[in-house]
Amino acid sequence: MLLQTVFTKTIRDRWLGMAIAAATLVLFMFYAMAVYTDIDLSIYTDLPAGIRELMGIPEGADAASLSYNVMLGFMGAVTLTGLAISMGSASIAGEERTGTLGLLLSNRRSRTQVLVSKIGAMMLLTLAGAAVLLAAGHLAPIVLDVEIGETHINAMMLHLVVNALFYGFGAMVVGAWTGNRALASGVAVGVLIVSFFAVGLLPLVESLADLARLFPWYYFDGSEPLVNGVNWRHIAVLGGGCLLFTVIAVVTVNRRDLGGPAVGETLLDRLRAHPLTDQIFDRLAGNARVARPWAKTFSDHQGLLIITAATMFGMMGVLMGPMYEAIEADVAALSDQFPEAVLALAGGGDFSTPEGFYEVETFSLMAPIAIMIVTIVAGAGGLAGEESQRTMGLLLANPIRRSRLVLEQALAMTVYAVIVGVATFAGVIIGSVIAGVGLSVTGVAAASLLVTLLGLLFGMLALAVAAATGRMAAAVYGTIGIALAFHLLNSYLPLTDRFAGWARWTPNHYYLSTDPLVNGMSWSHGAVLAAATGVLLAAAVMLFERRDIRQG
Amino acid sequence: MTVSTAAIRTEGLTKHYGDVKALVDLDLETRMGEVYGFLGPNGSGKTTMIRTILDELRPTAGQAWILGLDSHRQVQEIRRHIGYVPGDLAMYPKLTGHDTLTYFANLRGGVDWAYVRELADRLDADLTKKVGDLSSGNRQKVGLIQAFMNRPDVLIMDEPSTGLDPLMQREFQAMIREVAAEGRAVFLSSHTLSEVQRVADRVAIIRRGHLVAVEALDELRSKAMRRVVLDFGSPIEASVLEAVPGVRDVSVDNHRAELSFSGKMAALLRAVAERYDLVDVNTHEADLEEIFLTYYREDDAIQSQSSDEASDKASDEVTV
Repeated sequence: MLLQTVFTKTIRDRWLGMAIAAATLVLFMFYAMAVYTDIDLSIYTDLPAGIRELMGIPEGADAASLSYNVMLGFMGAVTLTGLAISMGSASIAGEERTGTLGLLLSNRRSRTQVLVSKIGAMMLLTLAGAAVLLAAGHLAPIVLDVEIGETHINAMMLHLVVNALFYGFGAMVVGAWTGNRALASGVAVGVLIVSFFAVGLLPLVESLADLARLFPWYYFDGSEPLVNGVNWRHIAVLGGGCLLFTVIAVVTVNRRDLGGPAVGETLLDRLRAHPLTDQIFDRLAGNARVARPWAKTFSDHQGLLIITAATMFGMMGVLMGPMYEAIEADVAALSDQFPEAVLALAGGGDFSTPEGFYEVETFSLMAPIAIMIVTIVAGAGGLAGEESQRTMGLLLANPIRRSRLVLEQALAMTVYAVIVGVATFAGVIIGSVIAGVGLSVTGVAAASLLVTLLGLLFGMLALAVAAATGRMAAAVYGTIGIALAFHLLNSYLPLTDRFAGWARWTPNHYYLSTDPLVNGMSWSHGAVLAAATGVLLAAAVMLFERRDIRQG
Repeated sequence: MTVSTAAIRTEGLTKHYGDVKALVDLDLETRMGEVYGFLGPNGSGKTTMIRTILDELRPTAGQAWILGLDSHRQVQEIRRHIGYVPGDLAMYPKLTGHDTLTYFANLRGGVDWAYVRELADRLDADLTKKVGDLSSGNRQKVGLIQAFMNRPDVLIMDEPSTGLDPLMQREFQAMIREVAAEGRAVFLSSHTLSEVQRVADRVAIIRRGHLVAVEALDELRSKAMRRVVLDFGSPIEASVLEAVPGVRDVSVDNHRAELSFSGKMAALLRAVAERYDLVDVNTHEADLEEIFLTYYREDDAIQSQSSDEASDKASDEVTV
């Protein structure tokens, strides 16, 4: 029943992304294992059993299980899940949006057949990616001569791949039902993020621990498969979900009208059409939006901006105050027993102080990621996006210089970064005041300013790559890859004496290394980040001036 | 700007993509007040030429001027005076037609909205819908309006009537003629020969990046051939017709012969009436399509001839 052409075409379109992701993860897993091998492991074996469990470190902790946890259990799981979501949401809704589904279905293939072929391709690619990671997981300890102890890597990879597919199927069913690709991936990513944090944080509060079972991520690592082996009940929950999603998708996709390459109506459109609200919203969504290129870029991704700023404000900001208050006693007790190196791995913070807690939870990872997402999307979209949608020629036939266009996109990006930075600052301060945590305002302001600069720097890198190549994929994935590499280098290099000094060459070093939450602003570090951003902007202007405009 | 300034001028304009020679040594001049047809089949280099003079692409060699302004160094000034409809037009799907026009109007300044409404009326365009929800013809109308709306001195259009229905095509052609009548210039790239035939004053023919010919349309017609259909009472042989000077492209189907002919009709009729029983003669002026094909064939002939010469030369060398 597998529709060979659709199946193989989907594989052909998608294999490269999966291959790059898997290769990168493998590379970093070898690297992490080598680093862990290089540092004194007694700090792990001395940990109390309870803490080891919490961190997912098996009995007789070793370099291998640590790197499995970080590189496969976290990075690998998130990456494969993200790719599965991307494939799942594209399966029906993606072809619908590009207007190719009708063409596909005119070839005497039923909707069910197309859907099944797409599911098959998604499963095969996800399994292949997982197989590569699994092979590397087995190979790395042998190559590096590392003891792997009592780890169940096969069990963890089984959990990982079923979990990734669960989200992929989830995105697929939303897309098949609604035909809206953005909604499909949005829902799946939203559930992923919420459940990831719920499963990480809820168990810290005893009375809420059982609630974690409501979130799908629980069935991935709630049973600690790396320590305890396969939990077939959990696998069955996720697998059953996949089956259920498939049934719903087949039923719904066959019952509804297929959409064409239409744009759809948003809430704003309705407000613009309504006589009560048309004047104000026409101004906002119409005239103001198209006043200048930067305003248009600003408005193009406003949904993403609002969601990101709200997440940073609410979940990563306001919520963290009461959260810290709730777990303060437990954390402080645990924290005394944590060796410093272990804490450094978790993001460099010290859990026993509110500053340390905020640094780990909000600032070390989430805040830079949030700002990077909005700036990369705005920066790459404003140049490479116009080119891939073939509108750049028309735009540049207007009296606007190429350099001016780059500067306007940089402006839109800066406004995006500042909005998310301010939302983070406000959320953290409000959370701290509500819970009486007592963070210093200048400290939070300093960290927020530095993270805004760091995020902007990576956004500017995306802009420069877009300016140089005109290719969306190069700008987005290239920047994410480089950012990831810098993050890992900055986290791991300081752990070894030999390479500690090299961290200075990563931009991430100029963000948290002076403990801005405690010590306030480091203007010299801020200046380094700003200068690098300026250099990238200048490069973007020059590179864009020189080359031919791409058409599609 | 003076009347003598060319609307568009290129000198030795050349563009290579790696080994592919998309444009080769192109020299042309479009005058103010004329509609300049730019004809060529798909992939002949029309779009590359337009994108190069608009500074989207940077020439490998040569130079271009629009209104006497250097196409690269003075591009900012040029952009104040041009209207542009790209080939395979793409716009912002999430903006309405009106938003789209507002966006470009904001970038250009000085757009007369009464004129925009007039254009929209003439083309029967719906500006309230999102561009992404429009059919390709209706989307094209928005693209045309944005090109016309600031009354540019030079209109550059790449296959602009794509998707328009015949009624709209006529309205659009009228709009083009009006632009030329006001002393402004229109550069119209097309593979739709009938359209160019209807509106163009002069025609350039491009093929494989080379300019094959530039002719005034009347000259083109006058020197050109007629299509002649001859009906006979008995079967005839093609060789008899081919022997008549000025005759080419003969096809014979039993009693009927079709051919292209340039020269005096009397000569042709005399030649056939002498030997055959001529029943009926049907003739009409060749349209551009036929002229076009003729140019292509000539070009091919020249090329194959020169390659023959080259191989002759090569074999000579071998002999020596």
